[in-house]
Amino acid sequence: MNKSMHVITMYILSHLGFMFFVYPDNVISSTEEGHWVPILVGCIVHLLVIWTYMKGLSYFPGKNIIEIYSKAGRIASLLFLGPAALYIVGMIIVMIRAFSEIMTIVFLSNTPLWAIMAVKIGIMIYIASKGGEAIFRIGILIALLFLPVVMIMFFSSFQNVDWRYLFPLLTKDFSFLTRRSFYESFFAFGGGFLFLGFAQPHFSYSSKRVLISVLCVIPFFFLAAYVPLLTFGHATANTLHYPYIVTMDSVHVNWLMFDRLTMFFLLSLDAFLMLFLGLMLWMAICISKRYLPLFKSYHLGAISIIIFCVCLMIPEWEVVEKLFWWIAVLRIYVFLTVPISILLLGLRSKGKGIRKSA
Amino acid sequence: MLKKAASLILISLFAGMLSGCWDNRDINHRALPVTMGVSMKGDNYNVLLLIPEPVENTTRIRLVKGEGKTVTEAIDTISRDMESFVDMLHMKVVVFDKALAERGLMDSISGFMRARDISPKVIVVITDDEINQFFKRSQKTMAPEGTTLYDCFEKDAGWNPEIALTRVWEVYRSIHSYTRDVAIPIIQAGTKTMIEHNGSAIIKNGRMVGRISSEETLLMNAFSGESSYGKVEVMNHASVLIVSNTFRNSSKVVDRTPYMNSKIILKVSLLETRENTNADLIREELEKVLTLRCDAVIEKMKANEADVLGLGQFFRNKLPRNELQHWRTEYLPRLKMNFEVRTIIQNEGNLKMPS
Repeated sequence: MNKSMHVITMYILSHLGFMFFVYPDNVISSTEEGHWVPILVGCIVHLLVIWTYMKGLSYFPGKNIIEIYSKAGRIASLLFLGPAALYIVGMIIVMIRAFSEIMTIVFLSNTPLWAIMAVKIGIMIYIASKGGEAIFRIGILIALLFLPVVMIMFFSSFQNVDWRYLFPLLTKDFSFLTRRSFYESFFAFGGGFLFLGFAQPHFSYSSKRVLISVLCVIPFFFLAAYVPLLTFGHATANTLHYPYIVTMDSVHVNWLMFDRLTMFFLLSLDAFLMLFLGLMLWMAICISKRYLPLFKSYHLGAISIIIFCVCLMIPEWEVVEKLFWWIAVLRIYVFLTVPISILLLGLRSKGKGIRKSA
Repeated sequence: MLKKAASLILISLFAGMLSGCWDNRDINHRALPVTMGVSMKGDNYNVLLLIPEPVENTTRIRLVKGEGKTVTEAIDTISRDMESFVDMLHMKVVVFDKALAERGLMDSISGFMRARDISPKVIVVITDDEINQFFKRSQKTMAPEGTTLYDCFEKDAGWNPEIALTRVWEVYRSIHSYTRDVAIPIIQAGTKTMIEHNGSAIIKNGRMVGRISSEETLLMNAFSGESSYGKVEVMNHASVLIVSNTFRNSSKVVDRTPYMNSKIILKVSLLETRENTNADLIREELEKVLTLRCDAVIEKMKANEADVLGLGQFFRNKLPRNELQHWRTEYLPRLKMNFEVRTIIQNEGNLKMPS
């Protein structure tokens, strides 16, 4: 059954969910001028990777990547799925920890971190326990509830924009390619694409429509970084940890009864993130169920306890940043190898099929 | 059945989480200051808070003081001494002492931005008076809600185009930005009204370097696109009401000298005239008055190397970034600015123009 709508919604929600936090800071600190260049590079890579991935998947109709890899043999699974699983778990840890920290900075300044993290992990486990089908369905509901709010907030953040900060536009400086923050910015590009390979048995989708939705999300990648830049200018925006959140904070809407828009914005994005993390956890469980039968039926509990413990062990923001970088390296590996290997496997199986029929 | 009961209990337990509170202080145990005054005494910050407190049928305004090495320490001292917890959530206006502004607001403003308990939208004001004096006097003339000072700067209340309107985040931007400075309104406690406006302070990189008059502030507001509607311009032969203004700017750089041409299109309506006045004379006079004033502002900007009009913004597409870095020191003093005023007399009121 074609359920592109669910997959597209999931894609849009998950990408909107994490592009407004660390990503603007990464882009802004990756270069001094012409920020559209690193963003454009990121977007093109993103588009190419998703295209490759879906092209590869299209050779295996009705199969998810676990089935594809396990058919290809143990080495392939270990080489590609192993890092992917590790990456998913690492990503969940970093996101839970970082996002809880942001919440304490922004509004829950008295609440201890472990409590916020426990609530988040609890919600995530609940979502994951319901399985992939339920996750994709609830995506539609969450989109209906929160997407309008996010969009209103997003457009209101243009209030203090000074378009002249767009300049200088041209740049000959490509040193961003050597900077760490540029690779960390792939957090927003490479965080969510893996799930396309897990949707298959329950939710088949047309890859063309997914690609169109990718194109629709690309302007947001630009604006998430450019709204703070246009409000503050690079010299100031570079001093901020969460440029977009601060920009949101400086929006003054007279007729609105709420003084701080940021809270609504953050909570809406939090809903997207929780859903996405639930999906990631479910993916991790799918992988571990297939390859680690050792745990029997306690995969969910085991993985969540590990995640919670690791989250608790991270004492300070510097460690989060270090983890962020390790994950970024792992991500680039997953980002490049998984789609390409799927495409190659697809081409091989197609070749076999032709040979067989000949 | 057992499973159902267990899940029901579990769900009802979730209700406890709904409050989202942790170590929460109820609203009656919080003091919510609306105005804060900051000055410096030696190496210590002196912080004053105006806290409206409900008593019986009205509100009483309470003035509390604290001292500390940093602004937060001072607030903390106040919080310690008071019976309730000081919550800066509803803070609206920060008043800085002039001496502190001249010394530099960088640390306090960066502190506000960092800690986030004071919103970046808070309005920044400088006072000419001694800060204790200012607060004591204004406390007397203040309406019981305690928000009078804020209302003076609220756009849909007492704000006027002659008053600069600058928020914490804008001052923060000026600390780091290459091409943008801000002006902060200067006030003092008044005798009949609560405050009196004394023009604005020119803030360069977070430090007060000079001041401009109210008329010059109007020009600055008009230039940055705030409406100057309602301002009455008085000249020798007539007084007019400004209805709208538009600026058309063009800029170029020749030989490291920035040139800028600014055309002001002013729509006015006639209020009062003296005898023997005609439209041409009014136009001519208005043009002269405004050009003189514009030139005066530019001279002040050049002298202080502070870009309150944000002229550097117009050169962002003309100069490379490493040159923009020196905009204030190298380019601004050499700027050749040309103002052109075009006046449109939109209407003459009920009376015909004497011809």
